Order: sequence, then structure tokens, then C-alpha cells
Amino acid sequence: MLGKRHRSKMAAISGGRVLSLCRQFQSGFRISTLPLQRPHVFTKLGPLSPCPQTHVRLVAQCRSLYTSSCRKGLEEFFDIPENWGESTVKSGAPWTAKQLRTKSNEDLHKLWYVLLKEKNMLLSIEQEAKRQRVPMPSPERLRKVDRSMIRLETVVREREDAIRLLQTGQERSRPGAWRKDLFGRTYWYKFKEYPIPWYLNTRYKRKRFFSAPFVNDFIRLRIEQHMRRRRRKRLAEAKRHSKLMEKFPNMVSKA
Amino acid sequence: MSRRVLYPLYQFGNPQLRIFRPNFFLTLVRPGKEQPPDTVQFRIPMEMTKCDVKNYLEKIYSAPVAAVRTRIQYCTNKKRNHLNQRVKRPDYKAAYVQLAQQQTFQFPDIFPKKDGEPEEGSMEAIQEKFMKDEQQRQKPDPRRGGVPEWFGI
Repeated sequence: MLGKRHRSKMAAISGGRVLSLCRQFQSGFRISTLPLQRPHVFTKLGPLSPCPQTHVRLVAQCRSLYTSSCRKGLEEFFDIPENWGESTVKSGAPWTAKQLRTKSNEDLHKLWYVLLKEKNMLLSIEQEAKRQRVPMPSPERLRKVDRSMIRLETVVREREDAIRLLQTGQERSRPGAWRKDLFGRTYWYKFKEYPIPWYLNTRYKRKRFFSAPFVNDFIRLRIEQHMRRRRRKRLAEAKRHSKLMEKFPNMVSKA
Repeated sequence: MSRRVLYPLYQFGNPQLRIFRPNFFLTLVRPGKEQPPDTVQFRIPMEMTKCDVKNYLEKIYSAPVAAVRTRIQYCTNKKRNHLNQRVKRPDYKAAYVQLAQQQTFQFPDIFPKKDGEPEEGSMEAIQEKFMKDEQQRQKPDPRRGGVPEWFGI
């Protein structure tokens, strides 16, 4: 209201240019006051546009949006008091990866903290239920939250991978290489950051990524053992299959 | 702070290392021994430190924290399974958090006894369940849309 009066006064003095400027100021003012009034509204406002009508609509949308009451502090470690003493608590389905992929990074970040608080709450309830030796109300919620968190992780990892592939072309977030250890076994060596170059780093140089020639016999033995085990497994499978065929000659073999 | 993160090497003058999406889960427990009114007891993961607990509660839960004390609870190794092997109950870290700003915390009774409902497994409960089932059985089929039984099969 103050802005409107201001606007009319200014318009009388100078021209349309000042008026439009004022209007912009007004719209900006409105937008900036919005989050102050409702600090717990997790909605993303659209980009600022000069037309005041859109803002009126935006405000209306925000008012009609349902938001649960803001609870702060350690009460969040417990369920809402209406659910205390209930044997079952209603809960929705876990978030699917498909749903999460449509969300922005910011929303995912907020959702992680919502899930984190929910899981903390459920763990507290579970522990208290164990202590009092009563069944926990709706224990399937824990699993739902876990699944949602795992899916959120995968979605975030997908995005990170995509960005890394675009920017650097590296497939892995942590680079590494196949190396051989002292006994000739090949393993995936993950690279690590060091504050000094490797040729000055005595601790790194102490590591041995090769095997002595007398180890070759043992490598051969290990390979032999592995092959023998594989053969034994294969033969056992074949034997089992032939026995079954003897018993049930009309059996259709799998695969 | 988080278990999953491999931090980049910190060197003096670098920006502070931040974590997104922490995967530490705290359990608020009822204290076994009597505690002062401003002390809250938690079970925290082993990797968590006092500073972590303080930051966690202040940043995520916006609860004012004055001091944090931790200890590691050794849990029993005496239990035996059906093969008479020892089964270790996992250890955990306990944190005692003192709240600032004269805040007090009382662990609420989150499983209050409700008067109206009979106890699980008692005679009344079974009877009530039986009556409910019987009433459900007596009801006509809603798919018939109120058409009497005489019509149709």
C-alpha cells in the first residue's frame, strides 16, 4: 500500500519512466518480503518479472499452499504428539528415483535433511520402544526412509557423473588404476592426494607394486587352484543336471 | 564429518571443507541414570566427534548447545547363539549434550496408555475383533449396488 501511494505521487511529479522504475521497486519489495513472512515455505519463486499482476498471482499461490507447522529444536526427535500411543501411523510411499530426477539440486538437498530428521525420529522411537518393550508403531517407515535416501544418493551421483563426464571426461569420481601387489595379485588401487610429489614421499616409495621373480611359481599355483575350483564346480553342475535328466527325461533344461 | 566423504587434501589457506548430505544418524534416548534437566543423551555413530555433535544439533536442529561430553559404551560379548558361538552386541558412542540458554529437556512419554482401547490379546479385544468381522460378513456386497440377493446368482 505504501508503495502504491508512493508510486502515484512520483508519477504526478515526473513521467512514465520513473513510474516503471517505481513499479519495479515495488515488485522487488514484495518479493523480498515474502520469505520473511513465511520462513518455512519451501517454494521456489519464479524469476522476477516487472508485471505486478503475476506477483499478485504468486502471492495467492503461496497463501493457498499447505505447510505444516514449523517445529524447531529437539521435539523433532519425536513424532507429532497426535501420533503418540497409536499402534499404527499412516505413511506414504518412499520417493522413487523417477520422482527425484525431476527435482532440482536445491530441492534434493532440502529433502535429504527432511529424510535425515525423519530417520532420526524413527530411530529414537524404535529405541524407546525397545526399552519399554512395546511394539514400535509402523516400523516399515524406517525402511521407506532408507530406500528414499539411497535413491536420492543415486540421483545425485548420476548428476555428478554427468557433469564430470562433460567437464573432464573422467568416468570415476576417484581415479585409480589396476596394480599388482607384493604377491602378484592384481587389485584396484585408488589414487590419493599427497602434499608432496611421489619421488620425495618416502612412505609412498616404501609401497611395492611389483612382485619378485620367485613369486611367479606361487602365482602359477594360485591360478591352477582357481581353475581347478572352477572345473570342479562346472563338473558338479553337469553331474547334477544329468542326474535330474535321468529322473525326469521330459524335463526342459533351464537356460 | 561424514563417513562417505573423502576429503580433498586441506592446506593452509584453502576454504573450509563443507559437507552436503551428512549421513550421521542420532538417536535420542531416555537417560538410564538421572541427568540434570538441561542434559540430553544421544547415541551417536562411532566416527562422530564432539564438535560434530555440536554443529549437527546447532545447524540442523537449531538447538543451542553449551557442551558435549562423549563416551564409548562397550556392549556385551557374553551372549551365545544356537551354535554356542559368542555374539557381540555392537558398541556405540553415547553423547551427553548440555543445552545453552537455560533450556531444559524432559524425555516425553511417547507411548501413553489409551483408556478406550482394550489391551492386545485380552478377552475383550478378541471379542471386539470377532464382532467386527461378523458385522463385516453380514454386510451386503457393495459391488451389487444395493440390488437384493433375490436377483441374479
